[in-house]
Amino acid sequence: MQRRFLVLALAALACACSKKKEEPSSGPAPTPAATAQAAEKAPNAVGLVIDVGGRGDHSFNDAALRGLELWASGKRYEGGRYVDASAQELRESISSDLASIAPSLKPLAVKPLVLQSKAQEDYAPNLQLLVEQGAQLTIGNGYMLANAVRDVATENPKSLFLLIDSQVLDAQGKARQLPNVRTILFKEQEGSFLVGALAGLVTKTGKVGFVGGIEVPLIKRFETGYRAGVMTTNPKAAATLMGVYTGSFNSVAAGKQVAQDLIAKGADVVFHAAGADGLGVIQAVKEARAAGKSVYAIGVDSDQSHLAPEAILTSMVKHTDLAVYQASRDLLDGKLVAGEQVLGLKESGVGMADVRVDFPGKAEALQKVEALRQRIVAGQLSVPGTQAELASFQAATP
Amino acid sequence: MLEVLHSLLFSTLDAAPALVFAALGAVLSERAGVVDVGVEGMMRAGAFCAAVAALAMPTPLAVVVGMGAGAGMAAIHGWLCIRWRSDQVVSGMALNLVALAGGTFLLESLFGPNGTPPITQLSRWDIPGLASVPVLGALSGHAAPTYLALLVPFVFQGLLTRTPLGLRLRAVGDKPHAVATLGLSVPALRWGAVVGGGLLAGLGGAVLSTAVLDRFEQHTPAGLGFMALAAMVFGRWTPVGAFLAALFFAFGNALRIGLASSAPHLMDLVPQGVLLALPYLMTLVLLGLQGQRSSAPAALGVPFEQESR
Repeated sequence: MQRRFLVLALAALACACSKKKEEPSSGPAPTPAATAQAAEKAPNAVGLVIDVGGRGDHSFNDAALRGLELWASGKRYEGGRYVDASAQELRESISSDLASIAPSLKPLAVKPLVLQSKAQEDYAPNLQLLVEQGAQLTIGNGYMLANAVRDVATENPKSLFLLIDSQVLDAQGKARQLPNVRTILFKEQEGSFLVGALAGLVTKTGKVGFVGGIEVPLIKRFETGYRAGVMTTNPKAAATLMGVYTGSFNSVAAGKQVAQDLIAKGADVVFHAAGADGLGVIQAVKEARAAGKSVYAIGVDSDQSHLAPEAILTSMVKHTDLAVYQASRDLLDGKLVAGEQVLGLKESGVGMADVRVDFPGKAEALQKVEALRQRIVAGQLSVPGTQAELASFQAATP
Repeated sequence: MLEVLHSLLFSTLDAAPALVFAALGAVLSERAGVVDVGVEGMMRAGAFCAAVAALAMPTPLAVVVGMGAGAGMAAIHGWLCIRWRSDQVVSGMALNLVALAGGTFLLESLFGPNGTPPITQLSRWDIPGLASVPVLGALSGHAAPTYLALLVPFVFQGLLTRTPLGLRLRAVGDKPHAVATLGLSVPALRWGAVVGGGLLAGLGGAVLSTAVLDRFEQHTPAGLGFMALAAMVFGRWTPVGAFLAALFFAFGNALRIGLASSAPHLMDLVPQGVLLALPYLMTLVLLGLQGQRSSAPAALGVPFEQESR
């Protein structure tokens, strides 16, 4: 009897899982529904596996999804299926720092296949599933997928892969190249430098803060760039800059707690690079504003202004959307080559979103930041991406 | 210095309630002998339903709906574990998985991938006169759940140790056959404890989406349920113990954050990862030290069968 109902519980569980499969979503093994989808495979299917941050993180994953679904295939994901997006929607989703290349972002004949990952163990099966569903190009979004992409790409030498935010690493953690994998790294420090420079100009208390997710070199690049930016425009604020890591990318409560602490200690501009934890940071800023404090948050990866229009000073945008779009276009043109790409300000890989809030001296501040941007693009200013580079940057700055 | 203490205390009190309620829920269920691994799933159900309900009704009422949702999940657990005597750990884990996948599925099909729209948060109470007192002022300016979380553990402790009902609850977790011999219904007592535990876990979840945040975020509660289990073990299965453990975990976290922002050089000495794992490490150490003399209820996880001995 006992066993029978255990089976029942597991059946209910399987039911819940297979339901999730009907919308393009996660699952460890191919199911009949999945194979049926593969049978009607489109000529140009591009697969995307997003990390555990999930769809709707308003940040990193949503940027990649935007690049594939909205820009490359002209579709919007709604209620578990794709509907055609309007031209206006497409236009509005392109952030202003890409204005110069916006006209070239035309929908392509690409069919998106997206899988979400609920746990780290899902990455490799999800990638393999997309390959089996007929994706010519399969994208792994995030450094957490690095090993999964390496393994699946080695097993499927005829498929092409795009790995975002990491190089292909061998078992010893050394970078290597695979003939069917393109990797993309971003110079997050350059975009973070700009928002840091702005934060230094905007702060009234002379204190600014940084909230990171998990302390990895990638997130460190955000921090060092930000610190260098603040240092350039406001050396005093740089000396007291508070940087705290939440230790996760999925805990809103942790992000909020950290931001509350920073605000209580006088920070009035807080930049986050913490995934979903960052939503907590924005919430804390919103609540502090409601309590009468003049504080701003700076968003990350996507333009997060819509989350709290009053409270978001700007966002450091990272154009995985563009990288995904370009890879899809290269695939169609037959020009997708393996290798490593590094995208910075110059390549429109990172940037600063529109500043939609008003503060005294706004025009002047934006001018200064723009001047710094031009110096970085021209190669006259090199932004530190590691702790060691930051130390020498500090020494060089009067 | 006082300001640092103030912000530490405030942050602890602001972050603790969800953990406290979930830990109390786990204590209630486990003292009656039913393992409560599913507390994470119950919290998720509570958080989701409270956020959805708050779109249509006043937020305090929505919190009650969230509690109901937690109790509903607990009822599934109870039905499997008490009625059909299935493995309690498996049932709890299944509940967690269903809540994880089901929550995401419902969220996406009802609201699209961007999550629920913002709701009205539970209002914060400023205690007149207290706000300006140094350090103690941190007691002011929280939402109702914080004050509730300071009160409920003691009421619960009193109920458990000083009333006939409390005695029966404890007995049903330690020696259910003795309870049955007295002509009391073991299943009824266990049902009450499991559903009550679900109510508390649901409340903990509802706090996350109505007081900590102003909507349901898709990762909620992000492992807080397991932290609550750790608090329960750390508090030796007593309500006040679990409450203190939960406060201690929340304080430890606030302290880590406070040190990282105020004394960054100290953080160079101790890796942050170690500090993040500390609550779990301490629970493991405590369990190891207790060894055979564990304070867990004697009949914990054992399905009750009248005919068995």
